[in-house]
Amino acid sequence: MIPKISKQGKGELAFASSLFLLGIFVAWDVSKMEIPQGSSIVSPQTFPYMVALFTSLVGIALVFEVLRGRYATPDGDEPGDPFLPANFKTMAILAAAIGLHVILLEIAGYVVAATLCFWGVAFAFGSRKYLKDLGISLAFAGIVYFSFTKGLNINLPSGFFEGMLGK
Amino acid sequence: MGNSFAMLMDGFQTAFTPTNLMFGLLGTFLGTLVGVLPGIGPALAIGLLLPITLTVNPTSALIMFAAIYYGAMYGGSTTSILLNTPGESGSVITALEGNKMAKAGRAGAALATAAIGSFVAGTIATLFLAFGAPTLAEFALTIQPAGYLSLIILAFATVGTLLGSSRIRGLVALSVGLVIGLVGADLQSGALRLTFGNLNAIDGIETVTVIVAIFALGEALYLASRHSLVPVEVLAMKGKAWMTKEDFRRSWRPWLRGTAIGFPLGVIPAGGSEVPTFLSYGVEKALSKNKDEFGKGAIEGVAGPEAANNANAAGVLVPMLALGLPTSATAAVVLVAFQSFNIQPGPMLFQTSPEIVWGLIASLFIGNALLLVLNLPLIRFWVLLLKIPTHYLYAGITTFALLGAYALNNSTFDLQVALAVGFIGYLFRRFGVPITPLIIGVILGPLAELYFKRALQISQGDWQILIDGSFPKVIYSILILVIIGPLVWNFKKKFAVNKK
Repeated sequence: MIPKISKQGKGELAFASSLFLLGIFVAWDVSKMEIPQGSSIVSPQTFPYMVALFTSLVGIALVFEVLRGRYATPDGDEPGDPFLPANFKTMAILAAAIGLHVILLEIAGYVVAATLCFWGVAFAFGSRKYLKDLGISLAFAGIVYFSFTKGLNINLPSGFFEGMLGK
Repeated sequence: MGNSFAMLMDGFQTAFTPTNLMFGLLGTFLGTLVGVLPGIGPALAIGLLLPITLTVNPTSALIMFAAIYYGAMYGGSTTSILLNTPGESGSVITALEGNKMAKAGRAGAALATAAIGSFVAGTIATLFLAFGAPTLAEFALTIQPAGYLSLIILAFATVGTLLGSSRIRGLVALSVGLVIGLVGADLQSGALRLTFGNLNAIDGIETVTVIVAIFALGEALYLASRHSLVPVEVLAMKGKAWMTKEDFRRSWRPWLRGTAIGFPLGVIPAGGSEVPTFLSYGVEKALSKNKDEFGKGAIEGVAGPEAANNANAAGVLVPMLALGLPTSATAAVVLVAFQSFNIQPGPMLFQTSPEIVWGLIASLFIGNALLLVLNLPLIRFWVLLLKIPTHYLYAGITTFALLGAYALNNSTFDLQVALAVGFIGYLFRRFGVPITPLIIGVILGPLAELYFKRALQISQGDWQILIDGSFPKVIYSILILVIIGPLVWNFKKKFAVNKK
């Protein structure tokens, strides 16, 4: 008999099945590999197929594990109640801050991208002192930028400030 | 033996140049600094600091890394004692007793026994490393590709099934890691897989990007989704970080026992520092005359596991240096550090780059000593770091992690990968899947494929070669024991319970 599946169980089932699908997907992608002729004794597809099979099998095993009611026990070494429903709003803000950094970095330069990212993450984590945060973000980004470009000679995109700050 | 000693002395000569000593000092400082920050374990600490070493010469950079390695471990124990948020599995046990001690006003003694215990264990274990690793490397030269493959599969099995609460979830992490490891061009034929026509993906996914993103971004996303960010209480530290004679009398045996447990379990692929610290705690509890103190702040419960943790960290370096096989997330990052200088750890390392490897081992000794000198007096400064508000802390970690991912290749593709991997990290945390097996999969998966192909090329395609010879047979027998053993054990336990 299958026990009644809780909301958490449904999430876990979705996760487990997506793993199974990942395996199928890898196998499908590998089957389309363009292989140079007569390259080697072992086909370059053999190992990837094994990985795909393994992934799907583990996915199926996890589905059964969840159906038997063996849910995940989150690590106890992190703060916060693991059994509360996830707060997707704060998560989305955080993801947006990271995404913005990815997009802006090479367009607007490191200082702008990092300042906004720092500020956005602090906001997602509940800080509401907008101006003070902005100051700290700018200081953080500036210090990192200068210690990397001047101190370590690692180039970071300068964006708007190009020319102004010199190279 | 004698040869190792002479080489080690040469290593000290390398490490004792003013420049290298300075990098060692800087490494201990940075390692502790980053390690103390809550939410950053040793693996992430090293990953975040990797770009800093990019412009330094290999020897100095690796010396700095050795220092960061031990420094991050020290820093982590401070956090778990004063904050009760261990952040990495090796310090969970330390938090158990250490935090209780701190609450009872004995933070100083807990920190001191952790620091001195780590020093003692680190020094003894590094000594074993110095003499053990070259011997193992010499033996490893005789291992055939099929033998290597069996070792990797053993590492997969132990890391995958020993970590975390559920075996299947460990294997889930491993399989996702293997899939990430597949991305890019096949090493021999150059045929592309899982690249989706993206030119940047041909070289594969950067391991450092994966490590930094899964720890830093995954953790940040998870914590943001948990929402209830109760400010954690930092326990005050009164007096100096030092122990009384009584504390010392109660600590020295646990230090030595912890070393004896931690080092061997690091050498064999037993899946990181979780198992040895738990074992050490169990042993100390069983042997202690003050059993009733356990759970309320017994100093033995800090001394033993902390020593085990550090000895384990040195033990993990043995297969990493001698075989090129990392068996913990932290060792994986150190391996990547080597690779970023085009140095491949493995049996040949001791012959091709003796200067680097012995310089590294010597600086492990030096770093360990520096830490003892640096940590106890500076403890008040480290405690200040614990007071950084959570939102700034995670803002800093996230931004710095993105920098680390970008600076390696100056490519935004790595940043996109980081975001995707961060989301996987979130899912893993949400569904109780351990992280370490994923990292082991990413880094050892391509190696497994390489040895698999080499073995089959030697045998002209005959799969029999994979279990030919005594070495693979021994390893696969151990593998069967590791997998079947616990199953039988559990069955017996259940049976016993049912009988009652």
